Amino acid sequence: MKKFNIDFYGKRKLFFIISIVMLLAGLVLNLIFGVKLDIQFAGGALIRYSVDGEVNQDEIASIVEETTGRDVSVSTSMLIGSNQNQITVSFAGNQALSLEEQQKIAKVLSDSYADRSFEVVEASSIDPVMGAKFFQKCLVCFGVTVLLLLLYIALRFKKIGGTMAGVTAILALVHDVFIIYFVFVAFRMNINDIFIAVILTIVGYSLNDTIVIYDRIRENKRIMGAKADLAVVMNDSLNQTFARSIYTSLTTFMALAVIFVVATIFGLTTVRTFALPMMIGVICGCYSSLFIAAPLYTMWQKRKTEKQAG
Amino acid sequence: MKGMIAMKRVKKPVFFIIVIFIVALSVVSVFGIHGQNGDNKITYIKGAGDIRWGIDIRGGVEATFSPTEGVSATEEQLNAAKSIIELRMVSTNITDYEIYTDAGNNRIIVRFPWKSDEAEFNPEKAINELAATALLTFRPGMEYESESTAEDGTTTYTVPKGETAETVLIEGSDVVSAKPAVQPDETTGEYTYVVSLEFSEEGAKKFADATEKYKGQVMSIWMDDVMISFPTVQNAITDGKAVITGNFDSKEATALAAKIEGGALPFALKTTNYSTINPTLGMSSLDAMSMAGIIAFSLIALFMILKFRLPGLVAVLALAGQMAITFATISGFFPIFNSFTMTLPGIAGMVLSIGIGADANIITASRIMDELYSGKTLDGSVHKGCANSFSAIFDGNITIVIVAVMLIGVFGPSNILSALFGESTTGAIYSFGFTLLVGVIGNFIMGVFASRLMLKSLLEFKPLRNKWLYGGSAK
Repeated sequence: MKKFNIDFYGKRKLFFIISIVMLLAGLVLNLIFGVKLDIQFAGGALIRYSVDGEVNQDEIASIVEETTGRDVSVSTSMLIGSNQNQITVSFAGNQALSLEEQQKIAKVLSDSYADRSFEVVEASSIDPVMGAKFFQKCLVCFGVTVLLLLLYIALRFKKIGGTMAGVTAILALVHDVFIIYFVFVAFRMNINDIFIAVILTIVGYSLNDTIVIYDRIRENKRIMGAKADLAVVMNDSLNQTFARSIYTSLTTFMALAVIFVVATIFGLTTVRTFALPMMIGVICGCYSSLFIAAPLYTMWQKRKTEKQAG
Repeated sequence: MKGMIAMKRVKKPVFFIIVIFIVALSVVSVFGIHGQNGDNKITYIKGAGDIRWGIDIRGGVEATFSPTEGVSATEEQLNAAKSIIELRMVSTNITDYEIYTDAGNNRIIVRFPWKSDEAEFNPEKAINELAATALLTFRPGMEYESESTAEDGTTTYTVPKGETAETVLIEGSDVVSAKPAVQPDETTGEYTYVVSLEFSEEGAKKFADATEKYKGQVMSIWMDDVMISFPTVQNAITDGKAVITGNFDSKEATALAAKIEGGALPFALKTTNYSTINPTLGMSSLDAMSMAGIIAFSLIALFMILKFRLPGLVAVLALAGQMAITFATISGFFPIFNSFTMTLPGIAGMVLSIGIGADANIITASRIMDELYSGKTLDGSVHKGCANSFSAIFDGNITIVIVAVMLIGVFGPSNILSALFGESTTGAIYSFGFTLLVGVIGNFIMGVFASRLMLKSLLEFKPLRNKWLYGGSAK
């Protein structure tokens, strides 16, 4: 097995800087782009049509606006392998769209384009009150899961390194959550229930990685003795687990990359919204365990022992 | 240095037994076992073809209904409404539906797929039919507010007014049975489709009184606010039976009879949410995701075998076994997990669990390689590698289990957590959490338990006792 000899501890400042730069970049993007809550949470309506042929986006927008009196934004995309155009009409504001209105729109569109057929592929209309309740539910789910994971951290890390290990692990997880959030912002993806599922899965995944590393540090500390330099212990531990971390992330990344590519080709937006942040999350989780959690933990431990000695 | 670990030898045949088991399970879980009994197909064991797909794959409609403004329904009322809606779906031959009541949020959630032979995809019509109050009323006179003419020349009169609006002579609740029937038209002699009603004792009395009072006048029959018939009362009718005539064809008469028999909803419903997916989009998504799964599995298999050689092969077999268990569970192979609906995110969860599941074998194979590198014997390395890696694998999977269980609990159908979180309108996240959880459990069975048996059993094969095959340098 290839033996790695990377000076994780010595290079730690570099990695911290990389992380801070990424987080700042994300913050800037957030300020520029703002964040969009999906209609699932905010309420609103959207209709997706499949049309056999070319149509003008702006024309459709004005027709629909005239019919409903509401602002709309229209986007089109070609489905690969067919001459079908997918047209997505999103209604501004967060009012739901009644069934009758939807039927009216369908009729007006097919009247205006006599030689094209509009087929409703997907239609969603969500009442904002219902949406807010659902958002609440997602937040509570997120909160409870995080609590459970924190509980698990507390129990598990008592043996590995105590509270400090837990705290540094949590810092790494917070880092991951923000990066994933900024991915959603950067790619202009709506924040929806998939966001919650992705965050929770990556948090679980990253935590798992961190635990394995801390476990190895503890084992090596025991083997190398109390007098050993903690930096050396950490470097050795990370070099030993590095291969395994990379391989595991690689297999998961491969699986996700395939899903992502296929979903993009076939226009499966739901799956794509899920695959892209997951892919980045997996890399991020691996990165944060190795380059953020472990060095922070070792730094803290060193300071503690130096304080005790001095 | 630790003392000698007592090494339990695993016999040679064990490897073959496990491989055969995995292959058999894979085949059966994908293809199922079916038999023919005349025209009927009997399913002894369900296969992948029997998987119940969500509406994002099959196409269908999902709608949320709430009582109209100001009405706060009791749980019994919501349940009554729920049964009536169920009846309506069943009577139109929709059998594979999901319906939940959420008393806390005052709503009913319905999800049903399009019928496989559905030609006309009209979600609005379907939703309107399900949510219609369906109140049948008999009223004097036939004054109406508005009329509209359809393309085929038929006129519909809607909204009663005047005396017609104010007086209700008999209601649907007074009707005991409603059946479609055929009877000859009085004037033309042609057979027409009608709906024949039978009233309850009280209803029969009301009807007798009404027909006596309005003899010679028109009595109109309304379904909600649409006038469906306006016959002239010839005589007082005392036998408690009535016939609704109109321009019905066979389908319309049957539908109307079913509607009346199903009963009226206790309150008017309005649709607060709806979403509908066209099946053609869904099916191509399914094909796409299946392809993704196969590609992902192949890539990972290739990687594992190239990197870890013999343990890599064991890993691939284990992953195949894990997939088989997942397929079996979602298709309803194991009777306890019968009512699972698979959606696109669910498939994504399955593919993800392949990637995460590979971890167990990677850890084990890496440990074995480490032990070989530090000079141990082949047998010692394999046994020690397996023993050492278990706690890391266990720990790693626990966090995913916590997340998966939470996702299932919060976003799935009724369970204890529903008290806190309410019923769900989305099956997608639940599907994801479920397949992830099943994947982890499958991973424990195959990636841990079966893998260890296979690895130790392989040690008994003389030709394969070569350190190179396990990742070390050649002997």
